[in-house]
Amino acid sequence: MVNETHSCRLAMVIVVAAVALIAPHYSVCADPSPQVVLNTSKAGPRSVESLTERAILRDFKFAWMNLDQALESSSTEPLSGLFAGTAGAWLNDAVASQRRSGLSSRYLNQSHKLEAVFYSPEGDMIELHDTADFQLQIFDGSKAIHDEHVVVHYVVLMTPGADRWVIRQLQAVPEF
Amino acid sequence: MWSSTNTVCRSHKARRSLLAFLVGGVCLAALGHAQEADLRAPSAAVAGNAASLSTTGQGSATFYLVGPSISLKRDVRLGEEVSLSAKELQSAGKYLAIVCASSCRSVGFFVAPAKPVNLAFLVHPSRAPVGENNVVSGVALPFDEFRNLVLAPATVDFQWSTKGSAPVSHKVATQNGIAWFHTNSGRSAGALQVAASINDISARRVVQQVASDPCSLRITGQRTKKGIVVETEPVRDCTGNPVPDGTVVTFTAKGGKETSTVDAPIKQGIARAQMTTTGPVVISAASGVVMGNELRLGAE
Repeated sequence: MVNETHSCRLAMVIVVAAVALIAPHYSVCADPSPQVVLNTSKAGPRSVESLTERAILRDFKFAWMNLDQALESSSTEPLSGLFAGTAGAWLNDAVASQRRSGLSSRYLNQSHKLEAVFYSPEGDMIELHDTADFQLQIFDGSKAIHDEHVVVHYVVLMTPGADRWVIRQLQAVPEF
Repeated sequence: MWSSTNTVCRSHKARRSLLAFLVGGVCLAALGHAQEADLRAPSAAVAGNAASLSTTGQGSATFYLVGPSISLKRDVRLGEEVSLSAKELQSAGKYLAIVCASSCRSVGFFVAPAKPVNLAFLVHPSRAPVGENNVVSGVALPFDEFRNLVLAPATVDFQWSTKGSAPVSHKVATQNGIAWFHTNSGRSAGALQVAASINDISARRVVQQVASDPCSLRITGQRTKKGIVVETEPVRDCTGNPVPDGTVVTFTAKGGKETSTVDAPIKQGIARAQMTTTGPVVISAASGVVMGNELRLGAE
């Protein structure tokens, strides 16, 4: 009887340990937020301070999460001011035209390799080269019309706002 | 024997049927392939210019275009060209054209920016002290009429000039759509006109060059019925420019164990203060990192 109880407890411990080991792994895999890395070693003429680097990474990542949500739901509500100027206008137009045509799109498993290529002398503008890697899905209503793994090169201009860095230009190019 | 002949015969029939089935299948597949839609992208699309895609196949299909600022859907006839208007291709970047009949085919293509018609020109600072190295900087970005950043290399001509001096020109080729410069401020206060131009487009900015910190302070003073009135001579920077009004000069009076200070702003080049001290005093003045002469006044 004692042995049975002991075995039962041992089994429970093993199950709990296994779940504890596996759960974080799954939570990482299921993380829908974009993976972003930034290399600032080639930035100039001003060097990028570490706090600035962190802020740019944070805001760029949120911006792409918002972009994905906006284009998936065909709604501008998820856009929380991280796109401004031309990039903001284009994204709003894209969402509006998606809504009109009944299309929606998803940017899944995003990975962005950013390289800062220009940081202005006064720190009021940064140009980044983004090599983005994602699964692009396009739907007409509920029908999938396109599903492709793509690598896209974007030229990105970001400027600092009151409390965040905003994307002002997001322009895809064939190559850098 | 009969049985075997019959078996052979059956076997022949089966082969024929199989062959007919295979041939039919291949023919159907070939026919299906011939009717399947395909797309050919425009070769060198430019923003704001109409373009067309060619399709193959027969029958009707649905065409989709997904671009940086557009998503559209329309019915098309396969085998005919699909025209895209200039307005539909205003944003530079990657476009995806999809045509769906029995299945969907897609093709991606890029739209390049058009010619630059506008320059974004950021110049800092708006006020710069004279005689400073690399204190004025400017960044220029060429854009086309649809606000696309023009990435093709172009030469930006930066020019700066002050009143009464010949303009200085500095040509810089854009890299990744950006050209920039930095330069020293001049030796005399006044407006520094800065311009950036590319082809026949230009943008102008003005940097106000102001006097730098005071170079030296000389003070004079005298006793009056109410105390001591002390004032500076006209305060100038090291290149002789009058220091701006509002710059604070601190007067300090030391008499015995007492020390009193008065902050006075410069007005029309001179800072003036009144101090209420009766005994012998030593008065000094300071502004920024500059100390003035000491003024010794005897007792009343």
